[in-house]
Amino acid sequence: MTTLQTSLRSAQGTLIEVKDLKTHFTTPRGVVRAVDGVTFSIERGKSLGIVGESGSGKTVLSRSIMGLLPKHGTIREGSVLFQGQDILHRSPKEMRGIWGSEMAMIFQDPMSSLNPLMKIGRQIAEPLREHLGMSVKDARTTAERLLRDVRIPEAARRLEQYPHELSGGMRQRVMIAIALACGPTMLFADEPTTALDVTVQAQILELINEQRRDRNMSLILVTHDLGVVAGNTDEIAVMYGGKLVEKAPTKTLFAHMKMPYTQALLESIPRLNQPSHSRLTTIPGRPPDLVNPPRGCRFAPRCAFARDRCLEEEPELTKGEQAGHVFACFYPVGSSEYEERKLELKRKSSASAEEGKK
Amino acid sequence: MSTTATSSTLDAAEPSAAMSASPQKGSRKRWHPTTIFASIWLGALTILAILADYLPFIRGYQERVKGASRFQFGPGTDFLFGSDQLGRDMFARCIYGAQISLRVAASSILLGLLIGGTMGLAAGYLRGWFDRVISIFVDVLLAFPALIISILIVGRFDVLSASSSTFSWLTRTWSITFVLGLLSIAPIARIVRAQTLSLSQREFVLAARSLGAKNSRVIFREILPNLVPAMTSVVFTGIAVLLVAEGGLAFLGYSVKPPSPSWGLLVSENRERIQEAWWATIFPCIMLFLTVLSFNMIGDRVARRFDIREAAL
Amino acid sequence: MRYTLQRVGQFVIVFVIVTFVVMVATRIGSKDVARDLAGGAVSDALIERVNNDYPYLDKPLVVQYGYWLKDMVTGNMGTSYAQSQDVVDMFKQRLPVTFFVGFWAIFIGLLIAVPLGVYSAYRRDGWVDRVSSYISFAFISTPPLVFAVFLIYFVALRLDVFPVLSDYVAPWDNPVEHAKNFFLPALSLGMGLAAIWTRFLRADMIITLQSDFIMLARAKGMSPSRILWRHALRASVLSLVTSVALQVSSLVGGAVIAEQFFGLAGIGTRLVFAVQANDILVIQAVTAVLVVTVVAVNLLVDLLYAVIDPRIRHARVFA
Repeated sequence: MTTLQTSLRSAQGTLIEVKDLKTHFTTPRGVVRAVDGVTFSIERGKSLGIVGESGSGKTVLSRSIMGLLPKHGTIREGSVLFQGQDILHRSPKEMRGIWGSEMAMIFQDPMSSLNPLMKIGRQIAEPLREHLGMSVKDARTTAERLLRDVRIPEAARRLEQYPHELSGGMRQRVMIAIALACGPTMLFADEPTTALDVTVQAQILELINEQRRDRNMSLILVTHDLGVVAGNTDEIAVMYGGKLVEKAPTKTLFAHMKMPYTQALLESIPRLNQPSHSRLTTIPGRPPDLVNPPRGCRFAPRCAFARDRCLEEEPELTKGEQAGHVFACFYPVGSSEYEERKLELKRKSSASAEEGKK
Repeated sequence: MSTTATSSTLDAAEPSAAMSASPQKGSRKRWHPTTIFASIWLGALTILAILADYLPFIRGYQERVKGASRFQFGPGTDFLFGSDQLGRDMFARCIYGAQISLRVAASSILLGLLIGGTMGLAAGYLRGWFDRVISIFVDVLLAFPALIISILIVGRFDVLSASSSTFSWLTRTWSITFVLGLLSIAPIARIVRAQTLSLSQREFVLAARSLGAKNSRVIFREILPNLVPAMTSVVFTGIAVLLVAEGGLAFLGYSVKPPSPSWGLLVSENRERIQEAWWATIFPCIMLFLTVLSFNMIGDRVARRFDIREAAL
Repeated sequence: MRYTLQRVGQFVIVFVIVTFVVMVATRIGSKDVARDLAGGAVSDALIERVNNDYPYLDKPLVVQYGYWLKDMVTGNMGTSYAQSQDVVDMFKQRLPVTFFVGFWAIFIGLLIAVPLGVYSAYRRDGWVDRVSSYISFAFISTPPLVFAVFLIYFVALRLDVFPVLSDYVAPWDNPVEHAKNFFLPALSLGMGLAAIWTRFLRADMIITLQSDFIMLARAKGMSPSRILWRHALRASVLSLVTSVALQVSSLVGGAVIAEQFFGLAGIGTRLVFAVQANDILVIQAVTAVLVVTVVAVNLLVDLLYAVIDPRIRHARVFA
């Protein structure tokens, strides 16, 4: 096992390739197009942040790649290549061999995601016994080592504890230990810090990243918070209404963001360097109805910079000037139409402010 | 026996979790086939039971048909359910049995509704020490072993009515109704209390109170009408449970006395001869089963329709 | 600890109230308690003996109750004068019969309900689920009496395996005969229980299967059987366990009917006979034993909760 895995580890190249992936749910209201044609790939050992509001399809996308969706009423189309092989249409039994051993996921809420009735040691040992066929004793030793890896003090004692006896941050560390247990090549983290105290969030992100580097794993980090991915992933993909709307290496994205939606997301993060009490911009309106998505650009109805064309025609993903930058917008940030509208808006808002003063 | 409508039973109304977008059942049919079946059965049975004395094709339940002694007739056109040991028409006895069983069950549930309902309403609306007293009372009532207390009370009432002329009116019909009514007080009080508690927190009740409506007005105009769905469900499932209880007591000889036919009594009268005359035992059983089933079906439907969780006896 | 004491205290109060009420009920309308205790129309000598055994029958009921309670606690349940049998001996003889009827009924109920409930929840709306939900609805509506009739008519009389009238055979004496004699009575009670419990377990399992930790177990690559039995079942049994405890008291009623129907000489048949014969001491003793049994089962279930769910253990230790 070790030789094979090490050779795989050291290998470079594409680990996951997602092509035109569609995930639709049949519901009484109609077909929900939760993921509607997404294409991207991720290299070995690299990390990708997927960002979007709730309802943008980011969680469904990550679970869809992994195949962790209810069978009932779910339609998946397109292809997902993992280590060069299509895994989209594998049987549940074949997928079980990949889950936990090759791909692992860290979930949002460690309180509800850990089994409340099972000792922590056992929860970590389970996949070790299932996938690696370890003996009870070996699995226990490995579990203890894993707890130490994720910096849980008194690891031996924790093995005998139940989740409710740990703090939120500790629980999330346990979940990370479970995900790392069998040495997966692909790690998914679905809002791993949302349920945690602000003070712990940074530590957990740091831990995930450090483990990713040490173990040469690829990471897909799903979050609604651009701030979370900012320093933690190599690339960022922004999702809206079930579609990828902008993707770029992290630095490029922040320096040259093109989608007004990305811009709006960024403006909605509170920042420490802002004067306190400065107003946060929220994005007006609600995410699109995924049963009947709008005709043109899906963000157009909420976009301050949308024009008639945006409502009629759907923009394709096009390459930007920077390497690896793609976006789907007719009038991106920096275009003349964008600037023109921006001036208009500024005038309007100052006019209304004047009015307010009177 | 509890017939809780905890979750999807006959058809599933699925709670759609965030991730599992499983398809829900489409438009809810107003008349579910089981409801139609149950209503027809209960309707027909009730009409037959009420009109039994006047319908020409129903014989008297004590009438011994000449030449029909000793289970002579099996089920057929003449004797729909066959005849019994004394040459009586089993169909007639089953219909009169329905009359007795239904009357006893319905009047006891009414008694339980009157007493238990009032207690639950008062406890849930007034709260405070009143609620505590009633809750303790209900808990104690529920702790009694139902069957033992039933046969004990029926037995004592027999002694009372036999020994003193003031209690001579206390026939078995009265005592069984009293006992079953007593047994249904506690569960009904519990359900009504829970429903009232949640109702009295609802906006329209709070609004009425804040507008200065009198307690009596709030109870009669706001709360009682909203208790109706839950009570309907309770009445139906309650009657089902009481029919079972009455059947059991009758079988043990603690319901109405022969020659009055109650279903349980018919079973106990004829079961020794089940091999030679199956009809005399099986038909009362089928009647009991179908009737209990129908009451449960309707109770379950009502509970599901109004999403009442506590409606279990 | 404090919690347990509180529960025990509650049960003591319930016990006292129930047994006192039963005592009052057996005395209502009684003109000559000693005569009634002796069994009605009996010789003066026997009544003398009763008065000798119970010299306090002229005292107020509360005092009588005190003496009775003392007798119970010291294990002296008196004599059934009508049957000239020591009540404790009666229990020794008949309690195993009733115990096995109840035990096997619960066993059969769980044996059917657990796999069926788990599978119905796992393959929700599949054909097993649909069929079992219809059948369980029908079974819930079937009184034990009707089950008994059908079992006798369609099973006992057709197959020459099970007796129409059962006898008590101890399992350690002859397991096969024991099974033959107890199968039908237990089944007549167990099928209804199975139906109720299947519905409870299915409902709870469905909720559990939607929870996050099941998703994590799937993401760990655990097999469905392991997820169902090791992860989901344990988290879904609380209402089932509660229901088992609740059903014990209604099972008592069912057992009386089953014993009577299948001719088993258990506590139930004896009780019915005692009420008919106004055998007051037996009535009182049976009630007391019954209430204690129900109480004991409830306490046991309380302990079981803590075994099943460590969070409850935790809460109680620090309560």
